[in-house]
Amino acid sequence: MVRYGRILLRFWKNSLIREMTFRGHFFVQVVGEVLWIAMILMFVRVIYTQTSSIQGWSEHQYLFLTGTHLLVKSLFETFFFGNCWRVSHLVQTGDLDFVLLRPASAQFLLSVEKVDFTALANVPVAAGICIWSASEAGVSVTVGRVALYLLVLGFSVTLLYSLLFTFAMTSVWFVRQTGLQSMWFYVVSLARYPSEIYQRFAGGVLWFVLVFVIPVLLVSNVPANVIVRELDMRFVGYLGLMAFVMLYLSTVMFRFSMRWYRSASS
Amino acid sequence: MGKYWSVFRIALADRLVYRGDFFLSTFLHFVPIVTTILLWDAIFKGSGKATLGGMHYTEMVSYYLLVMITRVFGSMPRLASGIGLDVRDGGLRKYLLQPIDYVGYLLAWRVAHKIVFMMMATGPYVIVFWVCRGFLPGWPGLTTLGLYVTSLVLAFLLGFSINCLIGMFSFWFLEVASFLHLFMTVQYFLSGHMFPLSMLPDSVRQVVVWLPFAYETYYPTLIFLKQLSVGESLRIIAVQATWVALIWAGIRLAWSRGVRRYAAYGG
Repeated sequence: MVRYGRILLRFWKNSLIREMTFRGHFFVQVVGEVLWIAMILMFVRVIYTQTSSIQGWSEHQYLFLTGTHLLVKSLFETFFFGNCWRVSHLVQTGDLDFVLLRPASAQFLLSVEKVDFTALANVPVAAGICIWSASEAGVSVTVGRVALYLLVLGFSVTLLYSLLFTFAMTSVWFVRQTGLQSMWFYVVSLARYPSEIYQRFAGGVLWFVLVFVIPVLLVSNVPANVIVRELDMRFVGYLGLMAFVMLYLSTVMFRFSMRWYRSASS
Repeated sequence: MGKYWSVFRIALADRLVYRGDFFLSTFLHFVPIVTTILLWDAIFKGSGKATLGGMHYTEMVSYYLLVMITRVFGSMPRLASGIGLDVRDGGLRKYLLQPIDYVGYLLAWRVAHKIVFMMMATGPYVIVFWVCRGFLPGWPGLTTLGLYVTSLVLAFLLGFSINCLIGMFSFWFLEVASFLHLFMTVQYFLSGHMFPLSMLPDSVRQVVVWLPFAYETYYPTLIFLKQLSVGESLRIIAVQATWVALIWAGIRLAWSRGVRRYAAYGG
């Protein structure tokens, strides 16, 4: 455990050094991210100039959902997205061999080697949106609720990691996997809205699938509900359960896919 | 011309190699449209109004559906970053040594990729549009169709030239990915991809019409939806052509200056 902690620290240090090599690039990227957040907020403002409620979500509740979504997204992108994205490149070039040959868990090494500090810079911005919108929404927040909120955020990031890593491992068969980036984009697109809007589609089948089968709708909605709306412990429990089930399945998928990995080049 | 035809044929073959990846990506393209339909349904119901930003609910949905088609022409994934990579890793050298124009090469390659994309994506698009036919306004007349197709071709050239120009920045800056990210963000918003620009406050909209982005997606889509008269459509097409000409001149200037700075490291 200590050894893995040391490896993790070394990876983070390397990522920071790499990021700081191109400081101008880093700062422009951070500006880009903040600009993107500003545009999402502008979209919310434009919507709420036309209506006062979307499926029971007031503007400030919706903003809290948006802030929570950005928080989950940024944490996932900071620690895992770049690593999942790299898998297909490693498979395509055969460089996965170098990961497999190291005397440590290959899934661990594959999952944590890169840290995206640009995405990390979004975390305080997203947290700021959450704090501001929660206070504007007039909710009373207890320490217990905040602790539960942070725990649920952890479940959400774990679930996303497990889903995306499992998907990334299919590149062992598809070889090129530009679909991963699209998939992440669309997961993000689906998850950032109130889950209730999906209940009206196809007799609620889509909502059921996105909540219970591939539970991407839970990752932002459940933590947001913990603070600004009704707390339903059944969904909190289900999200936690699914996070651990999917994490286990990702390890099964990794081992299974490695049986098919044929390396590349010479 | 023969050499660009060869580039075109090679790009066609390249695009067809990874079909599994392609179909998966194309299928995933349609996921957001479901969200869009449901979100706007909730917004219209919540507002209690018949029109928002000058559009009824069905017009709003058909706007987003048509934006998907228009975007196929204007979007240029990995064009600017590809140029950046060629400059950074010295790969550009091989184009300089050959009797080929680099920008012409990129254009031929991109046309081939777009054609393959359209051929392969026709099936999924037809299915989705058939499912959503209740929202669509029906076929416009031949005049509107002609104007739309012309604006699509210009949207393609506009998207290509803007991305190409950004790629050329890599002669001066080692890493263009950061600019590209900034640019993509602005473009997504100001091209009308996020929501129809008619919903923006007047003061913002007056600035937006002076930028090229709205001419990549928003205005061509309005042409198809017959929200613009023939005269207005022709004016939009003229503005598109002007932007293409201006940016193309910028590319030529950046190329001639940039190549002089290029040190051909690596490769």
